[in-house]
Amino acid sequence: MRDAAEGGCGTSESMRPRKGAGRVLAGHSLENPVSIVLAENLTKTFRVPQREPGLGAALRAVLRRKYTDVQAVAGVSFSIEPGEIVGFLGPNGAGKTTTLKMLTGLLHPTAGSAIVMGHVPWKREREYLRRVSLVMGQRSKLNWDLPAMDSFLVQLAIYDVPESEGRKTIDELVELLELGPLLKKPVRNLSLGERMKCELCVSLLHRPQVLFLDEPTIGVDITMQARIRHFIADYNRRGGATVILTSHYMADVTALCRRIIVINHGRILFDGPLVGLVERMAPFKLIAIDLERDLDGVSPERYGELVSRDARKLTLRVPKDAVAAATSRLLAELPVLDLTVQDPPIEDVIANVFHVKQDSPL
Amino acid sequence: MRRLIRAIAAIFRVELSTMVQYRGESVLWALWGVVYPAVAMAMWQAAARDPADGGGVARFGQGGFAAYFLASMVIGHLTTAWDAFEMGYFVRSGTYSGWLLQPLLPIWRSATVNFAWKLFTTTILVPIWLVIAWAARPEFRVDGLHLAAGVVSVVLAVGISFLWGYIVGLTAFWTKRTEAIGELWFGASLLFGGRLAPIELLPTPLRELSYLMPHQWTLGFPCEVLMGHASVTRVWSGLLWQLAWLAAGAAIFRLAWNASVRRYCAVGG
Repeated sequence: MRDAAEGGCGTSESMRPRKGAGRVLAGHSLENPVSIVLAENLTKTFRVPQREPGLGAALRAVLRRKYTDVQAVAGVSFSIEPGEIVGFLGPNGAGKTTTLKMLTGLLHPTAGSAIVMGHVPWKREREYLRRVSLVMGQRSKLNWDLPAMDSFLVQLAIYDVPESEGRKTIDELVELLELGPLLKKPVRNLSLGERMKCELCVSLLHRPQVLFLDEPTIGVDITMQARIRHFIADYNRRGGATVILTSHYMADVTALCRRIIVINHGRILFDGPLVGLVERMAPFKLIAIDLERDLDGVSPERYGELVSRDARKLTLRVPKDAVAAATSRLLAELPVLDLTVQDPPIEDVIANVFHVKQDSPL
Repeated sequence: MRRLIRAIAAIFRVELSTMVQYRGESVLWALWGVVYPAVAMAMWQAAARDPADGGGVARFGQGGFAAYFLASMVIGHLTTAWDAFEMGYFVRSGTYSGWLLQPLLPIWRSATVNFAWKLFTTTILVPIWLVIAWAARPEFRVDGLHLAAGVVSVVLAVGISFLWGYIVGLTAFWTKRTEAIGELWFGASLLFGGRLAPIELLPTPLRELSYLMPHQWTLGFPCEVLMGHASVTRVWSGLLWQLAWLAAGAAIFRLAWNASVRRYCAVGG
């Protein structure tokens, strides 16, 4: 059995998203890249009932209910080119899923506009629905009582995928995702990771040109996360499908997305390459050192900001432009056994964006 | 149309598979549908036995009640629809979101599931109905016209029941209390549909009120026709009422569906 991560299957034509499906947007020529997803000032406000705790407040609410407007998405604008994999990052309640729901057509925006493959998503035209797919990690498209294959066959029929083409696609996806041993088990008996692979399979049977993934690796173990990531990258590479992904796992983002959109409180804080974010938000490096013996009266803070200290292992935070000098001094002045210079973890960089920059665009 | 038929056929096969796999649950639900009319039949037959009533209630003798409630047992099963109860769960759990993103109107899925369940359970219920018929000794005075009109009436009743139940279910897009609304809908059908008593035994105001609701056209009227109780005029006018309720249901569904989806898209799923 081949690992999906190898991406070595000889698949191909039928694994590719349907071509010719993307209607060009007005004003774009074929020579210029055409945005496959275009969002302009997309805004969504929810009206949420509110009341104080207690019986009195409950009775008062019967007569006069109070509402609060919650702006889940506050005028976001971006465009995505065909074949891009874009990561949507943000804490819980940042507006990621709401944005995704507007782009798939599940939600009407309160204001703003969006065009996906030439369609207004919330008109939910059949031709549009046939070319997109939304995978939500916590919701299932599968019939829990039956083996996954039954759901696959229903999906092919609903999307009117020709029988032979559909069977071929199933075979390929089953091989890529290593679903063979799972196909005869009722979905309710599958593990979370196994079910997620089946969800991906059922969502891709009609070969969507734009794939929306809302936390596709949530709750699955690290090995399975890696396989799912490799599979998504493979699907994107083979057919040029556009993938828009939300995730809380930085490993998903670093493995798949060259471009990220950081969103918080419904506003875009950053839109650009991942490396750009690291450079902008983390103008320092981490120097990790193993010492041969204890330091006698020497303070490591002389060389940089002490981040952690565990016996003879130290981690220092040093401004990028001071790394060379600090490294030389450390090697010359301390009994260093081993020394490494690292970029800060991307999790810390992103957390820094959320906590330090608040709502200000970077 | 070819695409629709293919999708419906696939859903039908899978739903039937589910029912075969979970046959115990399907059978229990089907038997639940036998209990109501069986209890009502026993009560009314007991009432009709009372010599003080001259051995009957209005024009119903014991055999008449047996025929009415046997017919209501069968028609009640064929017209069962549960979207008014279940829609709330599908909306709250997000299942409906998945359906909205598929290029198939979700009502087709519900109709297919409904049909599959009836096909599966009817095969189990037929012997039970036959045993009850043998034991209750129903008196049908039905001729060819009533039989033919009765069949047409049952088909229309199936459509009305499903469509109006689905429309009631669409309230799930506005409120989280759809189970209560579903119960109210079922309660109304007990009284105004003729499940507890034939419509003609209702007090006049209630009988008049029943014309304002679709329930009697989903059960009481088809029973009346199949028993041979309805006059020819009543047969034709009743069929026209049924057609009107079906057409109104289709029109209201269209409006309600568009409004519901707009609402769903406004508040989130």
